[in-house]
Amino acid sequence: MADAKKLAEQLKKLNELRGPVPQALRDRVAAQNKAQKAILDALKAGPKTAPELAAAAGLPQDKTLWHVAALRKYGKLADVPGKGDYPKYELKGGDAK
Amino acid sequence: MKTLEKIEVDALVVGSGIAGLQSALDLADQGYTVAIVEKNPSIGGKMISLSKVFPTLDCASCITTPRMASVSHHPRIQALTYSTVDGIKREGKTFTASVTRKPRYIDEKECISCKRCEEVCPVYLPDEYEQGMGAKKTISIPFTNAIPQYPVMHPEHCIRCGACARACPKDCLEFLQEPAPVEIKAKAVILATGYETTPMTAKKQYGMGALPNVISPMAAERLLAPHGPYGRVLRPSDGMVPGSIAYVQCAGSRDKSIGIPYCSRVCCMYAIKQAILLSGSLPIADITIYYMDIRAFGKGYEQFYNNARAMGINFVKAKVARITEDDKHNPIVRIEKQEGTSAPEEVKHELVVLSQGLVPACDGTKFNLGVGNNDFGFVQLSDETSSSAVTAGTGVFAAGTVKGPRDIPDSVVDAGAAAMEAAAYIRRL
Repeated sequence: MADAKKLAEQLKKLNELRGPVPQALRDRVAAQNKAQKAILDALKAGPKTAPELAAAAGLPQDKTLWHVAALRKYGKLADVPGKGDYPKYELKGGDAK
Repeated sequence: MKTLEKIEVDALVVGSGIAGLQSALDLADQGYTVAIVEKNPSIGGKMISLSKVFPTLDCASCITTPRMASVSHHPRIQALTYSTVDGIKREGKTFTASVTRKPRYIDEKECISCKRCEEVCPVYLPDEYEQGMGAKKTISIPFTNAIPQYPVMHPEHCIRCGACARACPKDCLEFLQEPAPVEIKAKAVILATGYETTPMTAKKQYGMGALPNVISPMAAERLLAPHGPYGRVLRPSDGMVPGSIAYVQCAGSRDKSIGIPYCSRVCCMYAIKQAILLSGSLPIADITIYYMDIRAFGKGYEQFYNNARAMGINFVKAKVARITEDDKHNPIVRIEKQEGTSAPEEVKHELVVLSQGLVPACDGTKFNLGVGNNDFGFVQLSDETSSSAVTAGTGVFAAGTVKGPRDIPDSVVDAGAAAMEAAAYIRRL
């Protein structure tokens, strides 16, 4: 684990060298967190397809699918086995109801 | 800048795709020392991101990863990844290459590839390895079977929260790392810089990359790969399992209007391969290939094509004039058939793959070593009838698609030829 003091010094030096973290990046991360939370919240009610998640979270369908792929890769949600035009996703492991 | 790292070898190989890997191995196995420089964070080139290869349907990574592992463990090969060749100078009988190791912002000697930094990083980015369809993080290991297994940080996407550094058990995050210069002295140079596919924007009639369900063949490879972005074949606009898929052949080759009059040699076969794989994973899908003529020239290729026809893949001899979409993002393909009725027709599909052609990835003349280009920007051989690897630059050889479009077996064979020519040249010095 990093020494907290050394890390703080490095990050401070980084801010001096590169300037503050750009607002556009902060806004993007905030939007990303909001979208992911909306998707995961929508799944608490049960498995849903990407278009259903998009409608529930108020996001465009393609962006929703990208977030679903991201959350799936990092183990937050999983595929529901089954057939149909639109596969369903569910919360993974202990997160599911 | 850090102190200059110096490397002295017999041969320098630029690029670590299948051609670069093979020529490095062929040279090193003969006793020559080799340095490989690769601009990406992992060796393996384009081939490592493919799903399967034609016409055998062998898994692409099953062929590439053993070679990647051999290269990374070979006592006579040094692989410099995430490094760029900034220039090569000829000094008498040796070449001196100035190379820059780009910072990964980690201590590579300490990193144990545990991935904890990636797990805790809060910033998600489109993953170019998945052609943007999947996600990676600001600090992440490039892909599952990447070699080396070091994470790379992208400082322009870093919010400097320090979570990675706190999670790292070896304390190897180095936020202030700088590019490191390397000097490589070599007796011969092998250019194996490979190809890029023609861009989605090359032909404006085909949607300029703005239609979400008109995708590149590299994206289709990722959809078909077992560890692809969605884990199955879905279309990118809404996550639907596509029921009707079309391939548009020559969407970037044999087209004077975009300055690429040559045949890219692989598109017919990769389209047929992907169609066969798609019909395996989506048994009820209709798959159509719009083609000018099918060029199945290699061993077993014609049989592969006939198998695809027998499996029910629909081959339509037609030229695609333009691609638009309806309000549900279903691509609408306007075609003119070359057989039977030739009246223009509009056909709705649910996913379209543009069979893009191959263009050079790197200009071989930029190093000023006497290497010339042909009319299309690929490296020109000095005499194609006598050698498939010797260029006009003394001591400079070419391997793989840097010389022009060719398939994987051909690239492997002539990577061997380049290694032999280089070895013979080094021995004569």
